Amino acid sequence: MIYLDCAATALQKPPEVTWAMAAALREYASPGRGSYPASARAADVAFRCREALAQLLGADSPEQVVFTSNATHALNIAIRTLVQPGDRVVISGYEHNAVTRTLASIPEVAVQVAVGGLFDQAGDLAAFSQQIDGDTKAVVCTHVSNVFGYILPIDGIAALCRDRDVPLIVDASQSAGILPVSAKQWGTAYVGLPGHKGLCGPQGTGVLVCGDGQTPVPLLTGGTGSESLNQQMPDFLPDRLEAGTHNMPGIAGLLAGVQFIRRKGTDAILCHERQLSDRLAGALSLIPGIRVFRPKEANQRTGVLSFLAEGQDCEVLGDTLAASGISLRTGLHCAPLAHRTAGTLETGTLRASISPFTTPGEVDALAAVLRSCLEK
Amino acid sequence: MVYYLIVCRSLTYAQRTAAALERAGIAARILRSPKAIASTGCSHSVKISQRNLAQALVVLNRVELSPKQIFITEADGSYREVQL
Repeated sequence: MIYLDCAATALQKPPEVTWAMAAALREYASPGRGSYPASARAADVAFRCREALAQLLGADSPEQVVFTSNATHALNIAIRTLVQPGDRVVISGYEHNAVTRTLASIPEVAVQVAVGGLFDQAGDLAAFSQQIDGDTKAVVCTHVSNVFGYILPIDGIAALCRDRDVPLIVDASQSAGILPVSAKQWGTAYVGLPGHKGLCGPQGTGVLVCGDGQTPVPLLTGGTGSESLNQQMPDFLPDRLEAGTHNMPGIAGLLAGVQFIRRKGTDAILCHERQLSDRLAGALSLIPGIRVFRPKEANQRTGVLSFLAEGQDCEVLGDTLAASGISLRTGLHCAPLAHRTAGTLETGTLRASISPFTTPGEVDALAAVLRSCLEK
Repeated sequence: MVYYLIVCRSLTYAQRTAAALERAGIAARILRSPKAIASTGCSHSVKISQRNLAQALVVLNRVELSPKQIFITEADGSYREVQL
């Protein structure tokens, strides 16, 4: 099986992730619930995971790192904290439903989409500059499009938000573990991300990085092992957002994944993923009828590549590829807004996404099988 | 043995506190605060020996970690808050 859907979930993980999770199941209880060794071991791993994430994501303190169940959970906390009914919010033209559906669920929110030309960083930045004003309550922007691998001009957008004193929420679902994420430097109110994509952790893990001075509104309330007499959630992080028993196997696996990423280095991972997506794009460009959607500038691309075959339903073609042992994502990728921006809302796309474990032979095989399918 | 308990607002804060002290060569152990001093129900403390308090306070001040409260053990096993 050739797996090219790591933008959805990193199926191939470093073996130490599995080992860490197995150890957690055998040896860890709940952090903070007792002074006995099994609780202390769990607490130690949770703390080391927060520390490693804080360093990787540019946060000042491990207390700002909150464990969630996925990126959607993290983004829901951030958006529901900052956006109230009737507010005006500016978003990019590449947002995932984790953002757009959450905004749509808050009554009478006015959502303004800031988009320049397709894959046009300067145009996007100008659009944000035009749309962010004194009435803007929040800006929500993905760092990298999950459909097209396009890197948004997040440094510039963050600078605009700082200058205009508008809180910024960054969706780092496709960038954490691949590109530098700099929560402190950007001055973000919140950064949300999954553990199971670029960080190579297990499904069911996510992270919310809270900015200085933020008091997020909990989605869940309950026991935290702290201030138990207080019937309100604690006003300090991370306890405020972490009600209930922690997912210790997930956190242990996530720590192992983050350690793997830090050993390998995001620069090396990005370089590998770009090289293979360029190789794939080159091979696809030689197949008649294939249209590839990607930014022209190499430094605006990651290892995510969307394409279409002329006259072919993307779902049917994806099914054919699956039967040939190739796993990739098809359809709208939970991001109809991104497809509207690219003009592919009616067709959807096929998406191949590269991981640190993908080999040149695997992307060559995709191109060869695709050519074979289309020639039949 | 006489020791001090540095009461922290959260487990994570206690972990940061203990880590800073350990980095400075001060032995520190995290434990759940004794019920007698946990005024808010549950909390975590960092236990250090009597001789290390002054140095510990210097270290914590340097890394901008503020103890919520500090207690010292009495001969009868009770705890007395130390006013800084």
